[in-house]
Amino acid sequence: MIVEGSIFPLARANVDTDQIIPTRFLGSLDLRGLGRECFSGLPGIDRLYAVHPDATIVAAGENFGAGSSREHAVWALQGRGFRAAIAPSFARIFEENAYNNGFVVCAVPPDAIDAVLAARSARIDVAAESILLDDGRTVEFKLDPLRKEFVLGGGFLAYMEAQIPEIRAWEAAKS
Amino acid sequence: MTAERTLFAKVWDAHRVRDLPGNNALIFIDRTVVYELLGPPAIEQIETRYGGALYDPRRLVAVNDHVVPAKDSSTAEQAQVLRTWARKRGVLLYDVGENGICHVLVPERGLVVPGSTVVCSDSHTCTLGAFGAFAFGVGSTALAGAMLSGATIVARPKVMRVFVRSRLQGGATAKDLALGVVARLGFKGGTGYVLEFAGDCIAALSMEERMTLCNMAIEAGATTGICAVDEVTISYMRGREFSPGGEAFERAAAAWRTLVADDGAAYDAELRIDAGELVPTVTWGTNPGQSAPLEGIVPHDAEPAALAYMELEPGTPLRSIALDQAFIGSCTNARIGDLRAAAAVLAGRKVAIPTIVTPGSQAVKRQAEREGLHDVFQDAGALWTHATCGACPGLSTGVLAPGMRCISSTNRNFPGRMGAGGRVHLASPVVVAASAVMGRIASPSELEAPVLA
Ligand code: SF4
Repeated sequence: MIVEGSIFPLARANVDTDQIIPTRFLGSLDLRGLGRECFSGLPGIDRLYAVHPDATIVAAGENFGAGSSREHAVWALQGRGFRAAIAPSFARIFEENAYNNGFVVCAVPPDAIDAVLAARSARIDVAAESILLDDGRTVEFKLDPLRKEFVLGGGFLAYMEAQIPEIRAWEAAKS
Repeated sequence: MTAERTLFAKVWDAHRVRDLPGNNALIFIDRTVVYELLGPPAIEQIETRYGGALYDPRRLVAVNDHVVPAKDSSTAEQAQVLRTWARKRGVLLYDVGENGICHVLVPERGLVVPGSTVVCSDSHTCTLGAFGAFAFGVGSTALAGAMLSGATIVARPKVMRVFVRSRLQGGATAKDLALGVVARLGFKGGTGYVLEFAGDCIAALSMEERMTLCNMAIEAGATTGICAVDEVTISYMRGREFSPGGEAFERAAAAWRTLVADDGAAYDAELRIDAGELVPTVTWGTNPGQSAPLEGIVPHDAEPAALAYMELEPGTPLRSIALDQAFIGSCTNARIGDLRAAAAVLAGRKVAIPTIVTPGSQAVKRQAEREGLHDVFQDAGALWTHATCGACPGLSTGVLAPGMRCISSTNRNFPGRMGAGGRVHLASPVVVAASAVMGRIASPSELEAPVLA
C-alpha cells in the first residue's frame, strides 16, 4: 500500500479531537458532512486550506488526536480527502481508530518531524514502514504488527468475529 | 510471571484470553456501555453486517446521556436508534427520565464490578477505574468489536504508580488532585500508561472522589486510572441495584478484597505527590494540563497560542479574571457530594452571572431534591436542570457563544469545547460556586458571610 500526496503542515502539538471535529458536529447520524468541518476547531485553518488545497497527508506535532474517543475525527479527515497522518506521537484511541479505518498513521522519530513539515510532498510505503520526502530524504516509522494488517487489508471486525469461538471457550473454562 | 503483581496486572491476567502479535492481547470485556452520540455507528455496523448478533446482550448497557432530552431532530434520531436497538436486542436501557451520564449512572446502579473490564466509546470511561476495574475508552468500531465478540484488542500498557501521601487540606479537593496529576505529567505524559493510584491519601478518598480523580487520567493521555479495592469500595457496592445480595455479596466482597497491588510489585514508572502541598487549582489555558494555583497568576512562560485563544496576559492574577457563566456538571463533578459542596458555598448567597447546575444523573437529581439542594441553587439564582452531559460537550443547556468565558467543574477546556470560540476555566465545584457569586474567578474563602433569611 502506497500513499502519495502533498503535505498539510500543522506545525503544532496536541491537536485534539475537538479541534479535528468539534463536538457540535457529532449530534447526527449523517456522517457525510464531516469532511467539510475537518479541523474547524483550529483557529486560522482556512488560511492553511487556501495554501494547501489538495494536501492529502497531515503532518503535525506530538500527541496528535488527543482527547475524545470519537472515531468521527478519523472519518472527518478521510471525508476531507486526507489519507495519512505523520507525527512524533499519536493519542492511543485516535491511533486505534485510524488503524480500524485504514487511515495510515506514521509515528516518526521526534527529530524527523521538522523535515516532514518542511517537505512539499511525501510517498508513504506502508508495508515497508518508510516515507520518502520530495527532497529525497527517507524517514522510517513503526507500525503495530497486528494492526498493520487492519490498515493493509481492513477487516478489524472480521478478525474479531473469527475470535468468537475461542473467546466463548475461554469464558466457559473460566466460570 | 513474577510473584508480586500490580493491581493492573491482576485484572489484566484475569481477562487475557490470548496474547497477540506485537504487544497486544485479546482481553475479555465484562461490560460494554453504548450511548446515543457515538454508539449508533457501532450499532449500524453490527446490524447491517452481522444481523444484529451480540456476544451476550446481558453484558451490554445502553444509556441516553449526552443530549437529554434531544435538542433537535438529528439528536432525537440518535436517541431513537439507541432505544429501538436496545429494545429489539434485549439490552438494558436507561432512557429519558431515568437517564444519567453513563460514567455516573453505571456505578450508581452497581453495573461496574470491582476487578472487571469495561469499554465504552467515550474516553472518560476511565472514571470506573475507581472500582479497581480496567475501564477504558475505545472508538465506535472497537465498540462494535466488543459488542460482537465480547472482547477487544489492547496493546498492553505500562503501569505508573501514582503514590499520593498525606491528606487533601486547605480547600483542595479531589478535582485539585486530578488537575495536579495532569499538570505534573503534562497533557501527554501518561501516554502508554495505566495510572495506578496508591497511598494513604487515595485510601482516605470516597468513591465519588476516586471517580473524579480517575476521570481525568485520560487528560494526561493515560489509557486509564485504577484504584485498589478496599472497604470504601465494598460499602459503596453494598445494596446497589445490580450488586449481589446476602451471602453472594459477602463471597463477592471476599474476592474483591484481593484486588490490591502486591507488596514489592514492580512499576514501570512512579509519580509521588504530597497531597498536603496541593491547593485549589484553575486552568488558564486550552488543555487540562495548563493550570495554576487559584491564588496565583497566569504563568510567564505560558504557551502563547493558548493565551491568545483565552485572551489572557502572562502575570494576570487568576482571581481577577471576569466571567460570563458558571457551570457545575459532568462526569467529573456532578455527583451528590459535589452538589452538596457547591450548595454549601451558594447557601444564602446570590450568583452574579448565569449559573447552570446539571446533576450527573436523574438519581443524583432526586437525591439532591430530597436534601433541598435544588432550593439552595434556585434561591441563589442558578438554573437547576435535569441530568445530561449538556453544556460540557457544548451540545445543549448552556452552550457558550464565541468569546464567552465560563468557569466549569468539567474536565476539558479545549478550544471550542463548550461552544465555538468559548473559553473554559476548569475548577472544583466549590471554586465554580464561589466564582459564580463573585462574577470572576474566586475562592470560597473570600466570600462575605451569607445573608441569612
Ligand atoms: S459529561 Fe462531558 S466529559 Fe463526561 S461523558 Fe459527558 S460529554 Fe464526556
